[in-house]
Amino acid sequence: MSNFSSIAFYLPELLLVLTILAVIVVDLIPGLKRFNWIIALAGIVFTGVLLYGDSGVSESLYLGTIASDPFAYFFKWIFLIAGFFTILVSRHTHALRGADLPEYNALLLIVVFGLFLMASATNLVTVYLGMIETVSLPSYVLAGILKNDRKSNEASLKYVIFGAFSSGLMVYGFSWLYGLTGSMSLSGIQQGLAGVQEPLALYMAILLVLAGFGYKISMVPFHFWTPDVYEGSPTPITGFLSVAPKAAGFAILMRFFYSVFTTNSLTTIAGVDWLTLIALLSAVTMTFGNLIALQQENVKRMLAFSSIAHAGYMLMALSILSPDAIKAVMVYLTMYLFMNMGAFFMVIFAENQLNAHTLEDWKGLGRKAPFLGALMVILMMSLTGLPPSAGFVGKLYLFAVVIASKKFYWLAIVGVLNSVVSLFYYFRIVKAMWLFSPADPKPVKADSVIGLSILLFTIPALLLGIYWTPIINLIDKSIGF
Amino acid sequence: MTPTLMFALAILFLPLLSFAFQIFFGSKIGRAAHWFSLAALGVTLSLALSFFANIFITPGYALLDVSAVWFSSGSFTVELGIYIDNIAAVMLVVVSTISFLVHIYSTEYMRGDPRYTRYFGYLGLFTFSMNGIVLANSLLMMYVFWELVGISSYLLIGFWFEKQSAASAGMKAFLTNRVGDIGMFIGILLLFMQLGTFNIQAIAEQVEFGAFDGTGLLLTIAGIMVFMGAIGKSAQFPLHIWLPDAMEGPTPVSALIHAATMVAAGVYMTVRIFAFLTPAALEFVAVIGGITALMAAIIAITQVDIKRVLAYSTVSQLGYMVMALGVGAFQAGFFHLTTHAMFKACLFLASGSVIHSMHHALHKIDDHSTDPQDMRNMGGLRKKMPITYISMVVASLSISGIPFFTGFLSKDAILAGTLAYYHLHHGWTIFLPISGFGAAIITAFYMFRLIFMTFHGEPARKDIHEHLHETPGAMTTPLIILSVLSLAFVFTIPSTVNPFNSQGWFTSAIHTGENFAGLDMEVVGEALHHAHEPAMMISLTVAALGILAALLFYLFKVVDVEKLTRRVNKLGLYNLSFHKFYIDEIYDAVLYRPFFWYTKVVAKFDWELYDQKFIDWWGWLTLKISDWSGYSDYTWLDQKVVDGFGKATRYFGKELRLSQSGVIQNYILGGVIGILSIFILFQAF
Repeated sequence: MSNFSSIAFYLPELLLVLTILAVIVVDLIPGLKRFNWIIALAGIVFTGVLLYGDSGVSESLYLGTIASDPFAYFFKWIFLIAGFFTILVSRHTHALRGADLPEYNALLLIVVFGLFLMASATNLVTVYLGMIETVSLPSYVLAGILKNDRKSNEASLKYVIFGAFSSGLMVYGFSWLYGLTGSMSLSGIQQGLAGVQEPLALYMAILLVLAGFGYKISMVPFHFWTPDVYEGSPTPITGFLSVAPKAAGFAILMRFFYSVFTTNSLTTIAGVDWLTLIALLSAVTMTFGNLIALQQENVKRMLAFSSIAHAGYMLMALSILSPDAIKAVMVYLTMYLFMNMGAFFMVIFAENQLNAHTLEDWKGLGRKAPFLGALMVILMMSLTGLPPSAGFVGKLYLFAVVIASKKFYWLAIVGVLNSVVSLFYYFRIVKAMWLFSPADPKPVKADSVIGLSILLFTIPALLLGIYWTPIINLIDKSIGF
Repeated sequence: MTPTLMFALAILFLPLLSFAFQIFFGSKIGRAAHWFSLAALGVTLSLALSFFANIFITPGYALLDVSAVWFSSGSFTVELGIYIDNIAAVMLVVVSTISFLVHIYSTEYMRGDPRYTRYFGYLGLFTFSMNGIVLANSLLMMYVFWELVGISSYLLIGFWFEKQSAASAGMKAFLTNRVGDIGMFIGILLLFMQLGTFNIQAIAEQVEFGAFDGTGLLLTIAGIMVFMGAIGKSAQFPLHIWLPDAMEGPTPVSALIHAATMVAAGVYMTVRIFAFLTPAALEFVAVIGGITALMAAIIAITQVDIKRVLAYSTVSQLGYMVMALGVGAFQAGFFHLTTHAMFKACLFLASGSVIHSMHHALHKIDDHSTDPQDMRNMGGLRKKMPITYISMVVASLSISGIPFFTGFLSKDAILAGTLAYYHLHHGWTIFLPISGFGAAIITAFYMFRLIFMTFHGEPARKDIHEHLHETPGAMTTPLIILSVLSLAFVFTIPSTVNPFNSQGWFTSAIHTGENFAGLDMEVVGEALHHAHEPAMMISLTVAALGILAALLFYLFKVVDVEKLTRRVNKLGLYNLSFHKFYIDEIYDAVLYRPFFWYTKVVAKFDWELYDQKFIDWWGWLTLKISDWSGYSDYTWLDQKVVDGFGKATRYFGKELRLSQSGVIQNYILGGVIGILSIFILFQAF
């Protein structure tokens, strides 16, 4: 579709861009400055409204570089929800208070826009544009937004360097792909693959691309940045980074590999079964994430490592890469959005009210704030994957796919063992909260916005474990590239 | 969403709302919180009545039948849904009426309890779960609410958990019920395995169209298995042992849960699955009901605790209902469920009124050792508590099967059913009418024994008697309402006021039952019709005999009861009844003790052999191996290899640190090594 006629199908994104501009302009006007977050939230809400009315088109937009398909549609909702609550909660995060954060909301909105682009990119150029230019660059700034905080600065710097390294690998891989197939668009590459004479080169190209995508979803061995960045960034940003870009990373990973290779029945390249490779990486990723999380005393860092493990679980389904597997990843991401962000909101609450960072600081938290403590138990249950919680249903779908494929039974076993390991550290938090008496038994009250956000994210974390048919229905409609 | 569905959902969820409200806000509000529960239950009742009214406005079946997908996975779909026909509508009214009245009653009975609001919360939870069973259109959903009912029953029996006996009674009820529930679940899964659906209507339909070949053995087994749930919940032999102990709960709870509604859930479920119970399964059902009816009635004769008499009476009456369904008297069984709910709730609430009054009197004279529930401490309460007395007499007449009262209509129909069954099958089935009529005479006897011991004669304890007084309006009003509902005309009006004719709105609203599994309901109906008159004659006679005996024994004292007891006891008969046929003792000897012995043996084996020998041996071996490996690890791997790598890394690190500072380079190095090793390793293999 031509550039001009594409505009009609690109309204949600355009509204986001308008919002970004409005937030930046308002930031410059002293009297209106404090309203910038309202504009940002309103922009997201209206984007949601436009998105709701957006039925999508089968034809790719902007000369075949951006898809407006049901698949992207689904992911856009995840980005909007994550973005909305991150902006909302950031305003009530004490650590962010007082710091001069004029561009904060604008940067966050740019990331959301970039994520939209990532989920719908069907051309290597747009992939790069979305992933590196519009998502990563503002993310670096956001990670280091606390200019006077050494850790935040360090996080930002490490993020930049490792990001540059990975994107370098990825672009290098892209260039190989282009060289081999003569095309930048995914469909062109797919067609061009048939004529590729050098399988080894193709293999190298795939590895390099995988490195780039793997960096976004923090897949071992491209996960190194994750703990440091997650720990150093302001907590709302950590929560956001652990969910939204990861979802986008999975979106692009699935779109790329599914539409380029699976539809081509290309399961072996240069004698290498690359699905087995992903299965191995999945096992390593989840085991690594869980084992290291086990050692952590800092709650935020523990959740950071655990997010690596969750990426590992989702990679399990990617090693099957059937439509059912894609569905399973999407189910898991939905559940993960609620349970993981909910847990990070709880971390914000603990930091705000008690300046609690380590498990030691969390001791007796349940006694001090029984209601939120109970919600946190549900979230931990869900993250572990115990029934009846959303996390259980998510894992159920992942494991079901792996077992149904009859290919990687061992992977399912590794996954189950890892779930057991994760039970240990998630319930260390529960134990700290409830089985110890607090040093100071005075009850603490949460900021109402934070408390409400925790509640709003815990309800689906529990409810979707009991009644998840609507999510399945939505996802069933969303599997279409 | 249609208004009908909205109403049905409101019936279901309003009591749950009441539960949530009481649990979260009750203790903050205090006593006034009961208004919320009363309002919620009032609305529930009126909505239930609106469904009930629909029976008359738009006759016909299935007032509501909706399903929604709960979840589906591949070809496996599980649905939840609501199904309301006339039977469900009547049941809804029964449950919400009694629940509402018990709520009112409890405001007075539970006054001053430290967990007053929590009590109302639990009542709400119970009503929610019970309504769920009534509304469920599938066995799976019914099972879910079945367990919820079990939980709320557990919570309410053990409500005064500081008392050891209450806590263990709750546990006993829960565990005993679980035994039945396991059978029920197996049955449900058997049906699902064969037919691929949990929907009750769909199962019946498939059976009608030849699944299981109409009368297959598997269907019989499945039916009996599902019925096991009813054996547990409706306290049928041999799982009846929990119900008398459940009387440890507050008396209004006994009235609501352990007399009128929850224990009837088993009967209700059997009514629901009646259409696909095979004749063989029904025979089993009838025998279980017959044994329960007679045995429990015999036990009730000798009990001295007023609530225990009523508890065994409940077990016996539930036996009647189950037996009715077993012999194919479908309508009679459900009819008795309805009438029994009213008069038994009335009896329990009246006994609660007596206990409440006794309790206060004992409190006044500062006597804390006397049992306020022991009938031997009562006597002559008639003048002090006239309303309680009259309502109790009305309910007793009803349960004894005296004309003009509801019990006569329903019980008579059941007895006709047993007689008809004998006429059709002959042989051993004579046991059923014998059990039915035998239990009827005993029922009349023990009920009037209770009345005379409690309300007539001279007060056994003058000091207590002085302080007794009628209970407040909140407690007597439900009694009055329930005793009015125990009058026969309530169920026959407006078609007839003839006390011997049961044809009325009830018989026209509730059909005579369908069976697709091989029982010919036409033949049953015909036999029932013929058995009707002789059954009525005999039942009138036995009821009169029972009351007469009670009169002679306990009011006029013509016969010396003590002497008679001693004489009867020469054969051990009195003790047999008083000790409830020693069933608890038998279970103790053949089930619990062997089981505990077994656990001890296993524990011993586990500790002494497995743990001390086997595991420790492994420990020893592991130690040895680790010693050896530790040695080789340190001297070889650590000193040579690792340190070598370490030195190398340090060297490279040092070299690299010259050009860059910070740890990030190690990260990048990791990434590079990672990608290279993947590349090389996968190429190599």
